[in-house]
Amino acid sequence: MKESPEIAAEFSFKNEKVIAKSFSQRFQWEMILIGLGQAVIWLSLWPLVLNGLLDLWAGFLIASLCACFAYLPSHEAQHGNYSRGNPKLRWLDSLVGHITLITLKFPYHILRITHMKHHAYTNDPEKDPDYANAHNTSVFKVVKNVLDGSTVQFDKYLEVFQNDKAFVNSFHQAIPIALFYKAAPLVLVVFFPFETFLLWWLPSKIGSVYTTVFFSYYPHLGTSTGRYQNTRFWSHLMPRFFNHSMQLHFIHHLHPGIGHYDEPKAIEALKPFLVARKVPGADDIPDRITFNPLIKI
Amino acid sequence: MFVEKFLNHISNWGKLWFGLIFLGNIFNEILEKFNILSGSSYVWVLSFGLGALIGLIGKIRGAWL
Repeated sequence: MKESPEIAAEFSFKNEKVIAKSFSQRFQWEMILIGLGQAVIWLSLWPLVLNGLLDLWAGFLIASLCACFAYLPSHEAQHGNYSRGNPKLRWLDSLVGHITLITLKFPYHILRITHMKHHAYTNDPEKDPDYANAHNTSVFKVVKNVLDGSTVQFDKYLEVFQNDKAFVNSFHQAIPIALFYKAAPLVLVVFFPFETFLLWWLPSKIGSVYTTVFFSYYPHLGTSTGRYQNTRFWSHLMPRFFNHSMQLHFIHHLHPGIGHYDEPKAIEALKPFLVARKVPGADDIPDRITFNPLIKI
Repeated sequence: MFVEKFLNHISNWGKLWFGLIFLGNIFNEILEKFNILSGSSYVWVLSFGLGALIGLIGKIRGAWL
């Protein structure tokens, strides 16, 4: 990476990378537990509700919570953060990546390839698959677009990246799973109308809205292109534990190998680099993040 | 060839099928469960017709909302 002459040698990319790498080694067991755990809990809701052991409304609340926890474990898998480059552990990325997304009804392959393009072309209006979410005019419009499905423009990006063989192959690999997620609720609803609606369809919508608003819209709101400018540090009236600490999402864009639960420590260590590089909002990063809710009212 | 045709069909008419089958079943269950129009043999026509209509409007508009 070519260094700007304004950046002091101590804040070089090389030094930044060394520090980031020290936070990119740990096995992400928490995410595996959350990903597989929420899927198991969600699946168990069906027999419990259908046999009258759990009230449908309680099932709906639990399913909605599961859906809000469903994306992040798959996101770690998309970056290969379970296998960490070990080919013998790649099955773990696939397993967690696929299973955890059952609740949200999204095929893992499509989310993985579009997310890789999001990292490669963040905030590019033509090539960033998340652009429509991140650059919407209000949070209400984001919610509306997610609910009516207009943020899912996978066909458009199949055209944009038609010359990228790996992208096209992964896209085609995802089609059977995408069809399954379209067909399964249509079959289930015939036999279990309310259960299908309140245990799967509506929770998946709530989870998608939550994920899009906090993982895509807020972290990129008002940002531009460029490695240190495309994601920001932000604060919110909601404590960070309620939005999966997405205030810290910028460190993920700089170093995707850092595990989610290691990001606060990594940010503390890298704060001088982030300030020197003028990452949006970097001056407001607290010196210690461990239990800091990052609230701004 | 068949798969491509099927995918095109889903892509073009998915909203109508969703309205007819998914929303139709939900409306039907609501009417049955809460005894609205109970006893009428036209309950299912109303439910699935309304579902299909919403799906058709979604298809024509190109968006649900």
